[in-house]
Amino acid sequence: MSSTITKLNAPLTQAFDFQPSGEQLTPTPTLNTLTQQLAGFDTLTSALEYAAEGITGYNFYDARGNLRSILPYRLLKQNARTLAQRLFGFNLPRGSRVAIIADTSPEFVELFFACRYAGLVPFAMPIPVNLGSHAIYVQQLRGMLESSQASIAVANLDYVGFLEEASAGVANIHWVGTPGGLNDFPALDVELQSNHPDETAYLQFTSGSTKTPRGVIITERALMCNLQGIVRNGLEIKPEDRSASWLPFYHDMGLVGLVLAPMVTQISVDYLATRDFAIRPLQWLRLISRNRCTIAFSQPFGLKLCAMRVRESDLKDLDLSCWRAAGIGAEMIRPETLRIFAEKFSSAGFNENAFLPCYGLAESTLAVTFSKLGKGCKGIHVDSKTLIDKRVVTRLQADGRKQNEFVNCGRPLPGHVVKIVDEDGNQLSEMMVGSVLVQGDSVMTGYFNNPEETDKALKSGNWLDTGDIGFLFEGDLFITGRRTDVIIVNGRNIRAQDIEELAEQQPEVRSREASAFGVNDEDGTTTIVLVIECRLTAVTERQSLITRLQQLVYMAFGVNCVVELVPPHTLPRTSSGKLSRFAARQGYIQRTNLTGQLTFVESADR
Amino acid sequence: MSESYDEIMQLLCDRLSSMTNSSVQVTADTNLISQLSIDSIKLLNLIMEIEDTFDVSIPINALADVQTVRQLADLVQKIKSAS
Repeated sequence: MSSTITKLNAPLTQAFDFQPSGEQLTPTPTLNTLTQQLAGFDTLTSALEYAAEGITGYNFYDARGNLRSILPYRLLKQNARTLAQRLFGFNLPRGSRVAIIADTSPEFVELFFACRYAGLVPFAMPIPVNLGSHAIYVQQLRGMLESSQASIAVANLDYVGFLEEASAGVANIHWVGTPGGLNDFPALDVELQSNHPDETAYLQFTSGSTKTPRGVIITERALMCNLQGIVRNGLEIKPEDRSASWLPFYHDMGLVGLVLAPMVTQISVDYLATRDFAIRPLQWLRLISRNRCTIAFSQPFGLKLCAMRVRESDLKDLDLSCWRAAGIGAEMIRPETLRIFAEKFSSAGFNENAFLPCYGLAESTLAVTFSKLGKGCKGIHVDSKTLIDKRVVTRLQADGRKQNEFVNCGRPLPGHVVKIVDEDGNQLSEMMVGSVLVQGDSVMTGYFNNPEETDKALKSGNWLDTGDIGFLFEGDLFITGRRTDVIIVNGRNIRAQDIEELAEQQPEVRSREASAFGVNDEDGTTTIVLVIECRLTAVTERQSLITRLQQLVYMAFGVNCVVELVPPHTLPRTSSGKLSRFAARQGYIQRTNLTGQLTFVESADR
Repeated sequence: MSESYDEIMQLLCDRLSSMTNSSVQVTADTNLISQLSIDSIKLLNLIMEIEDTFDVSIPINALADVQTVRQLADLVQKIKSAS
């Protein structure tokens, strides 16, 4: 226990020293003094040089809704440049990686841009959010540090202890410390060079796997291409726009959509830490209402939290009529979630036409498709039986037949193409369900240092296999199922492989004898199921394994799971001996008699 | 204002029993994860209640070292006495 106690001292001192000395902060204004440029830049630093000429910027709020610090783009540029000159003291080759634990703080943003000014490649690592996750979290950090071959690793006082543990003995690491520690280095008088559009801008990790972490490589060109699509076509950003966000900076939607997109359009953003949103979600809506924000994104789960927590008395103080673009993405969108939210908040001025369903993934920087602005969430009702039997979408003709409703995620950004293919890679026509592939300049160049995973994701002609399942109708994309290798529970993306890896670390479990997948109940709640081929016969040993696995999965991913022990050779394998999660899931569903759960098309497990 | 350690413990046990509604008798040694299956939504509710009841702010990094009710009570006590 003593380790907990000593570690606690750090965040507390910081929390209480942070209070500004009675001085009243004012958020950066919405209207700028500068002519708006919509991502018309070739690199991030040139975009920041321009934004710094104005008066807008980032604002950070605490759990009680008080403004704690502001970071106008002007100040961000100065601080990032100075910090870049300190980074030169490490004498690192251009393109070296810098790992940063990304809490919602000005220090993260400053360091991110300092890296770009110094020609280094930053990447954001998650903060620990689960009870009892200490050991597993450290393991995940270590996986990312090793895979990225990071030279420097930085975290604020709250998290630097984890980082020190994770980096012990990791080759390549020159220095581990806090942003404050970096400030002790002298700023060298080095001329900052501009970056090239072909250089890597940053890495985006998509998995906490310790064996096969996947750091998506995003170049300056891919980033700016995606940002242009988002701000010009997806959102049609205007000078009077302002954003509010609780999305974590270590997720693509949080980083690209709500940190970088506002900066390349010189608009102001109001931030709430993810933890503070999760505990008091209405603070986000209060920020939108108070600061008259026009653009705010969320996963469906975030909207669900808001609707769950709101009381009648909260509504009268909210005016959400300013919110013109309520972007929804990052997981399958169930129309019901949006309907409930719109019903709850319509009396507070929320306009359901503001819903803006989108589809995207980190491997394509962030966004692939956007639905039409100001039109709300449009669904299509299709006949379930033809969908399952023929993998073809037919619009519902008669009432009373079993149906599915899918959300229109809109059209690809300019310069991007989406196609649907069958298992053999043949292109399918409209209304036929298959794998979703994307092509365009936003697509990643690969996973860092991981040619094997890169080959699986990038097909010939630079088509990115998203792993998701869907169909096209009149040019619009509808997603019918996310990839089988990613399970989304309460808004968290969990890779099936990471869960299986945890199981295989147990002495009783051999490799390739664990299969993890998600099953949904009637109201869309996802439960993780972990099926293990098990040779144990004693009841106590079997129970001990089940309890241990449930605890490990909880500590690593913060979710409960069902563990099923089955006799050896129960799990279905492909001809090459690989486990098929799709077939394992179908088998489980049959064993447990779950209705309406059979998936339409198998996606390639990636 | 200053709840004693026993009061903190008592309150946590009471809240956890009603929240999880299980047959498990919640004591200081009860494991929140393996015995009570606190999921992420329940955890958020619990943190909100603790913060509102004791007027403290629970740093998220500290929860990484919490597995039992006692560890949680120690954490609350530690934060309270520092504030």
